[in-house]
This record gives sequence, C-alpha cells and structure tokens, in this order.
Amino acid sequence: MEKAINRQRVLLQHLLSSSSSPGNARIVSRLDLVEADDGSLDSAGAPARSTAGGFRAYRTALCKSKRGGFKDTHPDDLLAPVLKALLDATKLDPSEVGDIVVGTVLAPGSQRASECRMAAFYAGFPETVPIRTVNRQCSSGLQAVADVAAAIKAGFYDIGIGAGLESMTSNPMAWEGSINPKAKIYTQAQDCLLPMGITSENVAHRFGVTRQEQDQAAVESHRKAAAATAAGKFKDEIVPVTTKIVDPKTGEEKEITVSVDDGIRPGTSISGLAKLKAVFKKDGSTTAGNSSQVSDGAGAVLLMKRSLAVQKGLPVLGVFRSFAAVGVDPAVMGIGPAVAIPAAVKSAGLELDDVDLFEINEAFASQFVYCRKKLELDPEKVNVNGGAMAIGHPLGATGARCVATLLHEMKRRGKDCRFGVISMCIGTGMGAAAVFERGDNVDVLTNARKVQPNNLLSRDAL
Amino acid sequence: MPIFKAGFSGQAVRFSPFYENRVLVATAQNFGIIGNGRVHVLDLDPVTGSLLEIRAFDTADGVYDCAWSEVHESLFASAVADGHVKLWDAALPPTSNPVLSFKEHGREVHSVDWNPVRRDSFLTASWDDTVKLWAVDRPASVRTFREHAYCVYSASWSPRHADIFASASGDCTVRVWDVREPVSTLTIPAHEHEILSCDWNKYDQCCLATASIDKSIRVWDIRNIRAPLNRLEGHTFAVRKIKFSPHRMNLLLSCSYDMTVCLWDYQAEDALLARYDQHTEFVGGIDMSVLVEGMLASAGWDELVYVWQHGTDPRL
Repeated sequence: MEKAINRQRVLLQHLLSSSSSPGNARIVSRLDLVEADDGSLDSAGAPARSTAGGFRAYRTALCKSKRGGFKDTHPDDLLAPVLKALLDATKLDPSEVGDIVVGTVLAPGSQRASECRMAAFYAGFPETVPIRTVNRQCSSGLQAVADVAAAIKAGFYDIGIGAGLESMTSNPMAWEGSINPKAKIYTQAQDCLLPMGITSENVAHRFGVTRQEQDQAAVESHRKAAAATAAGKFKDEIVPVTTKIVDPKTGEEKEITVSVDDGIRPGTSISGLAKLKAVFKKDGSTTAGNSSQVSDGAGAVLLMKRSLAVQKGLPVLGVFRSFAAVGVDPAVMGIGPAVAIPAAVKSAGLELDDVDLFEINEAFASQFVYCRKKLELDPEKVNVNGGAMAIGHPLGATGARCVATLLHEMKRRGKDCRFGVISMCIGTGMGAAAVFERGDNVDVLTNARKVQPNNLLSRDAL
Repeated sequence: MPIFKAGFSGQAVRFSPFYENRVLVATAQNFGIIGNGRVHVLDLDPVTGSLLEIRAFDTADGVYDCAWSEVHESLFASAVADGHVKLWDAALPPTSNPVLSFKEHGREVHSVDWNPVRRDSFLTASWDDTVKLWAVDRPASVRTFREHAYCVYSASWSPRHADIFASASGDCTVRVWDVREPVSTLTIPAHEHEILSCDWNKYDQCCLATASIDKSIRVWDIRNIRAPLNRLEGHTFAVRKIKFSPHRMNLLLSCSYDMTVCLWDYQAEDALLARYDQHTEFVGGIDMSVLVEGMLASAGWDELVYVWQHGTDPRL
C-alpha cells in the first residue's frame, strides 16, 4: 500500500506543479478514482469530489398498519426517533445540518410537512434547520436521499438528512374528489388510476410470471427476513421506538418499545400461500401473501461531504454514487427497476456484474420476480435479508429503509461487497434506482472489476 | 477503425521496426498505481483496418514502457513498475514468457529504450534515480548510472552515436552520458520543474528536446545549453512524452496530461501543427512509425490505443 501511495505522490506531482491553469481542478479530480477524495486534494485546489459520503442510516421497525405496534403512534413520533438517533450516533451539532428532506406519500402534503417540522423539534433540531418533504410515490425515501446528495454535491450545504416517513394507519391509500373525465381519452393517464394490484396482475400476465414463482419469492422473502431478524442483523439499523398502544379489546393504553419488524412470518410456506385467493382479479395470481405488506415506519440517512466526515473523524458507511429515475408504462408500473437499475449502474460507470448486492423493493412478487429475471440477477445477491413482502412497505419510508438495510449489510459483508444498488417500482409507471459504494473502499485502492481469468497469463504473473 | 480497447490504462505504445502494421502497447491496471500489467502485441489488419491482438502478456505489476528489439523481430523489453525489466518473445506463447527477467532496480522502472545503432543493448530509467545499461546476452546489468537526485523518467539513445544517451529526471535536469565515460558528460538544467521525457533529433546529432511538467517542450543544441533553441508552448498540463519524427527533421510529437497529442514543427513560427484530442484521459504514450511516414500511435489512460495517419481523424 505504501508503494501505491508513493506512486500516487509521484504522479500527482506531475499535475500539481503546473497547477496555475484554471482547467487544473478538473484534471486533478481524475486522480480521485485512485486518490480517494480526501482533504489533501481540497488543499491542492481541486474540488473535493463532493460525493456525499459519511452516511449513517437508521430506521424504525416496520409494523403492520392498523394492527401492528405503531397503530396508535403519531407519524411525527416515528420520524423523530430516527432523526434523533442520527444525532446521538454522530454527536453532531444539529445546527450544522443544512436541510432535512423527508419522503412521504399518502398524507396530505401540507399537514405532513408540518408534522415533519414538528418531528425535527422533538428530535432536538433548532429552529434554524429547515425541512421539506418530497413525493415520488414509492421511491420518495430514496428520492429524499438523492436530493440531499445532489444538494451537497451542488454545494448548497455540507450536511443533510434524507428521510422517509409513512403511517399507512393514519393515511390509507385513497383518492380524494372526482376523476377528470379527460383521463378516459388518454390510455396511459387512465392506467395511472389502476389499483396497484391490477398492475401486478398485468406484469404477471404480460411477462408470464407464474403464481408458483410468486409464492416461492414470498416464502423466500419471509425466510430470509426471519433468519436476518433471528441473527440480530437488523439490530444495527433499527432504532427502538417507545410508544403507546391501545388494546383493541379492553381499550387499555400501555407503553411499549418496538424494535422488531412485526410483519415477518417465519412459518410461511408454499402450501400455505397457495390457499390464498387472488385479490385483484378472478383467476389472478396476486394474493395478500405475495404482495408487500401495508405498514408504518420511518427511516433516515445522514449524508455529508466526504472531506467533512474525514475531518470530523466519522466513519463513512457508504458513498452515494448515482441515482436514476425512469418512466415506464403505467399499466405495468412494476417493471420500473428493470429499467432504472441499468440506468443508475451505467451512470455510476459500472456494469451490472460489478454490483455485489441489490435491494429491490418487493411491491409485488410478480414485478420483483420479473425484474430479477429480466436483469438476470443472481438471486443470492438480491434482497438477502428479505424484502417488503415480509418486512413491509410503508411507501414513503421504504427508500430510506432500504438504504439502512443495504449499507449495514454491505458493512457486514466486508470488502468483497463494494457496490450496492437500491431500486423500486413507482406507482403510475416509474422506477428509481441508486448505486452506493462501501465507505471504506474509497480509502483504499481496489479494483472495481476483477481481472477475468485468462489463458494469457504468463509464467510470472500473480 | 484502428482503435484498440486495452483492459488497463495505456502507458506506452511502440511501432515495430520490422513490421509496418505491428505495435506494442504497455498497460497498467488502475492507472499504474496498483494492480497488474499487460503488454499487448497488436496487428493492424490491412483489410478491415482494425487493430487485432496477436499476443498479450500479463505481469504482476503495471508495465510503464516497452521497446522492440532492434535486432530480433519478435523480441521486446518491458519496464515493470515493481522494478523488473523483462524480455519477451512475441513469437512464443505466454507460458514460455518472459524469456528473461531482471530484478535490479529498487523502484518503478519508467522507461526502456533499445539502442538503435549498436542494437545489442538497451537502457532502463527508474524512479530509483538510476539508469541501467543492459545487454541481452548478459545475466545482469552492464552498468548503472547514478547521478540524478530524483526519479529518472526516461533515457533515450542518440540515434547517431552507439554510446551516447540522454536521461530526463524529476531533479529538473537532463544529463547526457557516454557509456565509455565514468561520469556524465553534460548536465542541462533544462526546466525549472520536473522533466518527464527527452528525445534526440534523428537528423541533427546535437539537437535534443525535453518535456516538462511546466507544460512546455524545449529544444536544445547541446553545444550551447545556456538557452534553448525553441520553447514550444501549447499544452495545458505536464507534457508526458516527446518523440522526434524519424522522417522530418523539424517535426516532433508530444502527449500530455491535458489529454491531447500534439505535432510540432519546432522551427516554424506557428509551431503547433496539429492537436489530436481523441483521448478522454491522460495520454500515456505516443509513437511515430519508422516504416510508414506520418503514421502515428497513441495510448491513453482511457484504455484506448489509436493508430492513425497524420492529418486524419484518429476516431474515424
């Protein structure tokens, strides 16, 4: 390693001594790839490759809506603990945070924005720290993280929080008011009104995903999630939330601490799921068992300029590499990840093979199985700790939940797991995906791609 | 389209002195900072015009330079970052290569140059501040030249005298040596910054060009080193390599960290004749064909190797 550092020093010298020209910054940043964008480059006049790094990512447990642990919890009480956990873990001065962006979907916009602002106060943020919400349906949480990363990159601020919040207990999916009759003329606009379950049936039908495959995926999801919970893998990412719950029979109110996802059913079996009836369509294949669960929960991700994290001595959990949102046919909105993932991976300068771990939201088994097959992903790399069918899918929070799960799993897996991808389909026909890199990989020189074994290898090559 | 995509960053490219359509490309993984290296032997297919790989040889560390033997059509030497100097036979399969391997340099070997006059020996310049002279039939280096105070980036034989060469160093000097003499015969403080490359004019035995990280190229008459004959300015970053034309006395080719390859007429008022910007990363190596006038080659950190005729667009 010392040798590599010396080599960098010699080569960097070639660039620095001629540094008076204005174009220099751009060129020096090319060495970033190997130099890791630390403070040393900043001082040389190069732009800190302002990749937002220095992540911390936490989430609440996800609980079944209306029946689970958070059924009597105010939405702001879900958000506040994860925000506070970020501050507690990093000992960060909350006034340094430049913005908080919260992805949230179902609640009325202005009310939710107010709730979020209130949650920030509960968490101990001063009035000087602003907060806003973002709504890109199911990818809102990821969009929030991407927005913060982009703002940091743009130099608007150095530290930000991307979060997600959804209480499907408080805000069930519904349409308010009448529907514009014009929608009938535009097929795709009309398709935006399809219940999500129907779009799932469409995916299954159009791309030939069988009921058997879907049920199998659901069983796997529960099995993996149960195994991960049993192994304590979620302990690092879940912030215990102390809240109250009302016993539906006695009406008695008591205090509980929720620290485990309550939707996971370890005993889920193919034969059990096979008994369930299709919900959305007669002779359909989408059932309650192979769809995501309706849940309550929140998640939050702390992002900052990498150089700042280094300066503060904070360990870097991951680096936000790229983000892409794409549009697809609303009638088969579930195929979004199959389009978004290649787009995000490409913009990160990678190929699909470079990615070691995928977190793809399981809105429905049909679309999840389709995307996995379409991209020819190794099932061993996808949703290794289960997905939304077992853990739950609180719409706005899902993105942030996935970041927490992905980054912690990447941390556990060590250096062999360098790049991870998060993706989800989006109602009304879209997909979003983001590429993350393991934080500590940036500090060392590793190869994005292993050298393929070849028969050209000469006698003395390693 | 004579473009070749190497797997690693291109560090050097050399036309074969025996076959007009053959080139040698030295590459290194991760820009030569860490990882493996590979040397590609490429042939320009006369029918399709594409560059085809004939052989590739892997090494344990990045390859910074390579040079064809002037005496044997398939033999070539390579400068490896781990301090090795290796000789390869392109006619033999990788399993029978390298034919010779010398480990004497204490640090990265940055350049290798085959003697074009006597043809039996070659020079290597290393970041261990030394230049070494080698002969193919000797088990170890013939001589080590220690005078530079910092990395020696290149050593270049005089095209006229069998025993004279120049070395360019990060100590801001170029030294001229006669291998029969115990010490260097001339020291030129050619630039105020590190000097990365030097080359002799093929038609004027006293004319030497130097390239520096100060972005300039200077042309010297070694009989009067108080001031350069010419200063060529136009690169916007360190000039990494320069090469005089084998065909025209006034022409020289350069490549730079500004990602361009430039052709100069050092005696003309408007010295810059052409600027080629086909590369999207630092350009590591360039060469001008001895056998085909105006045929140029470049290799860059974008892993691409281009071979083209001067005046045409390398990308087409």
